[in-house]
Amino acid sequence: MTAPLLSVEDLSLSIRTPEGEARVLDRVSLDLQPGALLGLVGESGCGKSTLVKTVLGVLPPAARATGGRILLDGRDLLRLPQAVLAREVRGRRLGFIPQDPALALNPMFTVGTQLLEIWRWHAPEGEDRGRAAGRARILSLFRRVQIPDAEAALDRHPHQFSGGQRQRVLIAAALLCRPALLVADEPTTALDVTTQQQILSLLGELAAEYGLSVLFVTHDFGVVSAICTHVAVMYAGQMVEAGTKADVLGAPCHPYTAALLACHPDRMAELAGIPGAVPSPLTPPAGCRFHPRCDVAEAGCQARPAGLTPQPDGRGVGCIRFDPARPAA
Amino acid sequence: MSAPILTARDLSVHLGGKSRTFARPVAPVRAVDGVDLELRDGEILGLVGESGCGKTTLGRTLLGQQRETGGEIRLRGRLVSGLAPREARRARASIGYVHQDPGAALDPWWSIGATLHEGMRIGGVADRVDRERRIAEMLRAVGLDPSVQRRYPHELSGGQLRRIGLARVLVLRPEVVILDEPTSGLDLSVQATVLRLFRDLRAAYGLTYLFISHDLSVVRLMCERVAVMYLGRVVELAPTAEIFARPQHPYTRALIGAAPRLDPAGALAPPTLAGDPPSATRLPTGCRFRTRCVLAAPACAEADPRLEPAGPDHEVACLRWRDGR
Repeated sequence: MTAPLLSVEDLSLSIRTPEGEARVLDRVSLDLQPGALLGLVGESGCGKSTLVKTVLGVLPPAARATGGRILLDGRDLLRLPQAVLAREVRGRRLGFIPQDPALALNPMFTVGTQLLEIWRWHAPEGEDRGRAAGRARILSLFRRVQIPDAEAALDRHPHQFSGGQRQRVLIAAALLCRPALLVADEPTTALDVTTQQQILSLLGELAAEYGLSVLFVTHDFGVVSAICTHVAVMYAGQMVEAGTKADVLGAPCHPYTAALLACHPDRMAELAGIPGAVPSPLTPPAGCRFHPRCDVAEAGCQARPAGLTPQPDGRGVGCIRFDPARPAA
Repeated sequence: MSAPILTARDLSVHLGGKSRTFARPVAPVRAVDGVDLELRDGEILGLVGESGCGKTTLGRTLLGQQRETGGEIRLRGRLVSGLAPREARRARASIGYVHQDPGAALDPWWSIGATLHEGMRIGGVADRVDRERRIAEMLRAVGLDPSVQRRYPHELSGGQLRRIGLARVLVLRPEVVILDEPTSGLDLSVQATVLRLFRDLRAAYGLTYLFISHDLSVVRLMCERVAVMYLGRVVELAPTAEIFARPQHPYTRALIGAAPRLDPAGALAPPTLAGDPPSATRLPTGCRFRTRCVLAAPACAEADPRLEPAGPDHEVACLRWRDGR
C-alpha cells in the first residue's frame, strides 16, 4: 500500500459551550489513499462536518483540537500557522466544494471576479497570477465542467445560474489552483436527482482525469454506492468502521453500520429503526459511544477506547468484538 | 380495485401573471397544468418529480388552500372545486395536510398543547374535555407521551416534530392525508421509525395518503402506486412495482436511472438527461418534455399528449412510448 495523501491520526476535538465542554471528535483516524474517493458517512451530529472543518482549518474559535495529527504532504496541518494554511494549503493542495452553491458565492460580484480573486491569492507556485493567465485558466475549466457559453458566464452574477450550474462554477473554483485533494461537503444534497447525477458523474470524471483524491461527506448511501471507492462511517464523534465500499456496504462488521444500513429504504425489511437517540457530546457514554443502543453490547464496551482495529481484509473496525486481544467476557 | 376517494380532472393552477396597461402582460406560472389523478380508498399514492414540477402546489390545491384555475376536484364523488377559499376548505375538511417542515409550521411561542387545541377548535370541536381526550389519544398513537403538550417546538427533535405535525392533523379525523416530503431532512434511523408510523396509522385509522416525495427509494418502499410529474403535468401513473420495472415515459426512465440506490457493487449510470427543465411561464409547444427528450420527434412539437393506457392499470402521456421500449 502506498502512503496515504491525507492521514488523520487519533484526532480529538472539543468545543467550549455555555453548558460545558462538548467532546465532538474522539480519537478519529482516517486515511485517504491517492486516487481514492472516500465517502464519509454518518447521521447528523456525528462530527463529519467538524472533521472536514478541522482538515480545512476553519474551526470556530471555541473549538480546540486536544490531540492527534492531520498529515498532508507530511506536514501536520494542526501545527501550521493560519497564514501558511491560507497561502500554501487551501486552494493549492486542497480544494473545497461546499454543500449549498447558493450560499458559497457572493451575490454582488460576477463569478469571473470571484474566481479571479482565488487565482490571484492561490495560483500554483511558478504560474502567472495575472488577470490574463487567470482568465484563460478559468475559461478552460468552465469549458471542462460544461458551463454553456463559458466566455459570457464569467460576467454573470451567481443568481443568473441554475443550482446545477452554480455547483459547476464551484467545482471549477475548487479545481482552479490544481489541488491534489478535493473535499466535498454534501455537494449534491441541494440538487434534484437528475442534476445530482450530472454533477456526480462530472466529479468522477474529473477525479480520474486529474488523479484527485476526494473526501466526500454525505449522508446518502446511494451517492456513496454510485461514486465512492471507500467508505468511513462515523457515530457520535467516533469512527466506527472504514474500508472499501464493497466490504462496508456489502458485509458491515460494526453493529452501528449494520443497523444504519438496515434503515435504508432499499434494504429495509420491517422498518425497524435504531432504538434510542444519539448521545449528547456534552455527556458521551464511556468507551464505545454506541454501546447504550447496541444489541450485542457487553461489559467491556464501556472500557474500549475509540479507534479502529485493522482486520485481515484491510478494513478497520471500532468494535470490541473485532479486537484480537478481546478480553474474555 | 377500490373506488376513488379523491379525483382531479384536468386540474390547473396558474400563479401570478397579470395584464398591464401599456406593457406586455406578465405570463402566469403554470404550476399545475391539466392534471388527471385519482386517489383510491386506502392506498398510498406516491407523487414524485423534481423541484418546481408542481407537486406541492397540486397537494395544496387538493387540500383547498390554493384555488384552482380550472378543472374539477371531487371528494367521494361530490364536487368540491369552484368554491370560494373558505367554503372550499370546509368542503374538504376530511383532507389533512402535513407540512414539509413541521418545525416551521409550528408557532415557536405556543406550547404544543396550545397548537393542537387551536387546530381542533377551528375544526369545530368545541368541548375542551373532548379535545383533551382526543389529543392525548393521538399523541400516544404517534408514539409520544401526552406530557409533550407542555413543551415548545424548539425543545423537540426533528423526528418528534414530524410526529406532532401528524398528530395535529389526525386529531381532526381526516380520511385523506397529504404528506408533503414527510421524510426530508430526517436521518436514516429516524426516517425508518417515521415511515413505520405512517404505515401503522394508516392501518389503525383507515387513512389514504398522497405521499409527495423526491426520494424514489422511500416511494418504492411505501407506495402502492406512483404518479410522476413534470412541469405541472402527470406524465406517468402506474403501480409501484410496474413503474420501477417497466417505466414507459422517457422522463420516468431518466428519473429512475438517475436515482442512486444502495448497492455495494454500484456504479454511476451515465446521465441521460442534460440541462434543466424549461421555465413554467414559457412551456414548449406540444409535449412539455420534448426539449430534453431522447425520443423527441417533429410530431412532439405539435400535439400535447394526455395520459393513455399503456398496460394494466398503467397510464403514460407520451406520443412515442411504444418506440422507446
